[in-house]
Amino acid sequence: MRSGRLKWFLLAPALIVVFLTTTYPLLSAFYFSLHHWQLSKPDQLHWGELTLDNYMRAFSDSGFHNTVIVTIEFTILSVALSVLIGLGIALILQKESRLHTIVKILLIFPFAVSPALKGYSWRFMLNPEYGIYDQLIDHIIPPLSGTIWLGEPFWAMLVLALSEVWGWAPLIALTFIGALGSISPEVIEAARMDGATSWQVFRKITLPLLKPVILVITMLKAIFSLKMFDQVVTMTRGGPGDSTQTINYYIQQTGFGRSLDIGYASAMSWILVVVLAILAVLYIRFVLRPGEA
Amino acid sequence: MTANSSASLAKSASEIGQSESSIAIRRILAWLVDKVGVLLILGFMILPIFWVTLTAFKPLNTVYSTELLIIPTLNNFRVIFGPAQPIQLEDEYYGASDGFGQYSREDTIGKDMGRLLVNSLIISSVTVLVALPLATMAAYVFSRYRFVGDNALMLWVLATQFIPAIIVVIPFFTLYRQIGLLGTHIGVVIVNLSIVLPYAIWMIKGFVDALPTEIEEAAVVDGCNEIQVLLKITAPLIAPGVIVSAVFSFIMSWNEFLFALTLGRDAVRTLQIGLTTTEGVRGVQWEQMSAVGVVVLVPIFLLSLFIRKNFVKGLTMGAVK
Repeated sequence: MRSGRLKWFLLAPALIVVFLTTTYPLLSAFYFSLHHWQLSKPDQLHWGELTLDNYMRAFSDSGFHNTVIVTIEFTILSVALSVLIGLGIALILQKESRLHTIVKILLIFPFAVSPALKGYSWRFMLNPEYGIYDQLIDHIIPPLSGTIWLGEPFWAMLVLALSEVWGWAPLIALTFIGALGSISPEVIEAARMDGATSWQVFRKITLPLLKPVILVITMLKAIFSLKMFDQVVTMTRGGPGDSTQTINYYIQQTGFGRSLDIGYASAMSWILVVVLAILAVLYIRFVLRPGEA
Repeated sequence: MTANSSASLAKSASEIGQSESSIAIRRILAWLVDKVGVLLILGFMILPIFWVTLTAFKPLNTVYSTELLIIPTLNNFRVIFGPAQPIQLEDEYYGASDGFGQYSREDTIGKDMGRLLVNSLIISSVTVLVALPLATMAAYVFSRYRFVGDNALMLWVLATQFIPAIIVVIPFFTLYRQIGLLGTHIGVVIVNLSIVLPYAIWMIKGFVDALPTEIEEAAVVDGCNEIQVLLKITAPLIAPGVIVSAVFSFIMSWNEFLFALTLGRDAVRTLQIGLTTTEGVRGVQWEQMSAVGVVVLVPIFLLSLFIRKNFVKGLTMGAVK
C-alpha cells in the first residue's frame, strides 16, 4: 500500500528547495573559490581559468591565521563554559519544587533572545561608565574595577563567549535535567545506603550516566559556536584590534566589505565547511548510531 | 567493666549527638546552596532581559546610569516608531563607511520601526507558510515509506543544517545582484528556507514517528486511499506537532541576522537590523536600542511560553534526531 508514486510528489518539493537553498550555494561557492573574483574589479574574472590562489592565500594570510586562532579560542571557551554552567544549573534545579518549576520556565527565555540583541544588551551592560554588569563587578570584585571590558583582548573574548553562554547554558541545563530524570532514584538510594557521599554519587553514578548526553551537547554546541557571527557584529566588531575577529566575521568582511572579494571569501568558507563536515560526520555517527535512520 | 561500658555508652551517645547536629548543619547548608544557587541562576538568566526592558521605559536622563527607581515613559517607543527624519550632520559624516555592510547608516530622529516590524512579520510568516507544508509532506514520507536511498536522503537533509550561513549568502548575493532580488522580501525568504526547511523536516518527522501506525492501517482496511489517509487521519493527528514546528521556524526567521543584513539591505530591513540603526556616529542610543529590543522580544517570549512544554523536546528533535 505504501509504494505508490505519491511519495515522490510529497517529497520532491521539499527536496528541491533544500537542494537549491543549501547544496547549490555550497557547490557554487566552491566554483567561485577557484577564481579571482572581486566585485570591485570585475575585469579580473575569467570563468575559464581555474586557480588555487585563493586557498594558497589563506595559508599565507596572517589575518586568516588570526581568525582561526580566535575561532578556536571562542569555541573552546563557549563550549566548556556552556556545558559546565549548564550542568551546575541542572544539578541545582533537578529536585522537584514549585520554585524550581518557575525557574525552569524562565530558563527558556535567554535562548529565545536573538543573537543580535544578546550582543547589544551585553555591550550596554558592560559599559565601563554606566553598565549594570560593570557596576556590579566593581562592588563584588574591587580589583577588577576600572576594567574596560570590551577594550582589552582577554576580557573582550571572555565576555563575548559569556554572552553566548548566557543563551546556551539554560537550554543545556534543561536537556541535562531531562536526562537526570531518567536516572532511577533507586540506584542513587542504594549507593547512599552503602555510605556513598554526594560527591561519590555524582562522580560514580550521575556523571557516567550523563556522559552520552554531554558528548552530544558538546558536539552540537561546538558546531553552533563555529557558526557564530551576529554577536561579533553587535558587541565587538572584531575588536579590540582583531582579537575577537571570528572566521565568519572575517569572511563577511572580505566578501561584503570594501573589497567585495567573492573568490577569497568563498575559499575561506570552504575551509570552514571542511572542519564543520568532520564534526557533522562525528555527530551523525554518534547520534544515529544503532540502526536508526 | 561497668565503668568502661558506661564510658563507651556516653561516648557513643555524644557521637550520635554530634552526627545529629552535623546533619542539621548539612541540611541548612544544602538549603542555602539551593536558595543561593537559584538566586544566582535567576540573576544570570534574567538580568539582561530585565535591564533592557527597564531601560526601554526609562526617561532619557536616567538611561546612562544604573538607577532603578524611575517614572516609566513611552517616549523611547514614540521615538523609534516615529518617521525617520535625517539629523543635520557635517558633510564628512555622510556616506562615511565603517567598512561593514553596504548600507550606509544614517542618524535619524525617528527610526520608522513600524515599517521594520512589518518587514519582520512578512518575512517570518511567509517563510513559515512556505516551509511548513513542504516539511510536513516530506516528513510524512520519511517517516512512513521505505525506499531505496531513503536513509541517504534523510542524512543529507540533516547534514545541510551544518552548512554555515555565510557560504549560503555568497552565491545568493551574486545571483540576486544579477536578477534584481537584492533588498526584496522574497529574496530574504528564499535564503531563510535554507535554515528553516531542513530543521522543520526533521522536527516534524519526530512527531510523525511518535504516532502509532495502527490508526492509519485501520483506515486503509476501511477503504481509504493513501491521500485520504494523509489528509483525514494523519494530518489532524500531527497538527499539534506541526504548530510547534511552525513556532520554532518563526522564531528562527525572526531572529535571523546575517541574511537580512547582506541580502535584505535598506529596502527590507528587519527588526534585527533595526537594532543596528540605533547605532550612529555618536555611538549606540541605548534607550532606543532597548525599546527596539522589547519590540523584538515580546512576540518571541509569548510564542516560547505557548510551546513551553515542547521547547527542549522540539529543539533537540530537529537536530538530535
